[in-house]
Amino acid sequence: MSEYTSAKVTAGRGGWGGPLTITPSAERPLIASITGGGIHPVAQRIAELTGGEVVDGFKGSAPFDKLAVAVIDCGGTARVGVYPMKKVKTVDIHATSPAGPLAQFITEDLFVSGVKPEDVTGE
Amino acid sequence: MSASTTVYDTRVTAVGAQVPAFLDHGIIVLFAHTAPPELHDISVLHEAAVTEDGPLPGDTIVIGPADAPEHLEVLAVGSVVRDNLLNLGHLDIKADGRTEAKLPGDVCVRTGPLPTPAEGDVFRITREQA
Repeated sequence: MSEYTSAKVTAGRGGWGGPLTITPSAERPLIASITGGGIHPVAQRIAELTGGEVVDGFKGSAPFDKLAVAVIDCGGTARVGVYPMKKVKTVDIHATSPAGPLAQFITEDLFVSGVKPEDVTGE
Repeated sequence: MSASTTVYDTRVTAVGAQVPAFLDHGIIVLFAHTAPPELHDISVLHEAAVTEDGPLPGDTIVIGPADAPEHLEVLAVGSVVRDNLLNLGHLDIKADGRTEAKLPGDVCVRTGPLPTPAEGDVFRITREQA
């Protein structure tokens, strides 16, 4: 069985929410990149620091209940709400704030935005 | 009638259970039919035939049944819209009447009710020829 460690994700410039501590587990091992153009460097870095398994959400399977974190490139309306609604920790690489029909689910303990790879640090 | 070119052309394959809730907020969310199942509830899923460009202000969105679609003028387009559409088939249409996008993913059209999407509907972005 894998040993997992934690990573801290802090809001980047103009971002909102967090910081989040991401710790994969046997039940929730996946670092899901729900982004265009393959695995995003932010997801890659979280995986490297935590030992989590990185997956491209548009190619592989990334069910809500297996996710340690969802990394998204959301422009502010849809994905920003879908993952927090399911209580999945969510990292948006764009500097968005709670908005849209699902804004009520977007809270500082579940969501952080404006994140670049350097905003992800080991603990 | 002046000539126009179609820069994006797709057909609706499924409409998620939460789509009406977004319509109540004046929002339509599109994703390619290949999007993760976790996103299907909130999405109008579609399979595109033409994916040449994202929308620009002044373009027309043609949406609805093929024989009687609605025409919506694009008023404003956020900074990440083109990438989202061409990479993921993803678009957020907002009937907010804004001439500057509030969020980077927004495509703004006139205020008022948006058409309720149904399977088989067309979705096109057309551009007047210069």
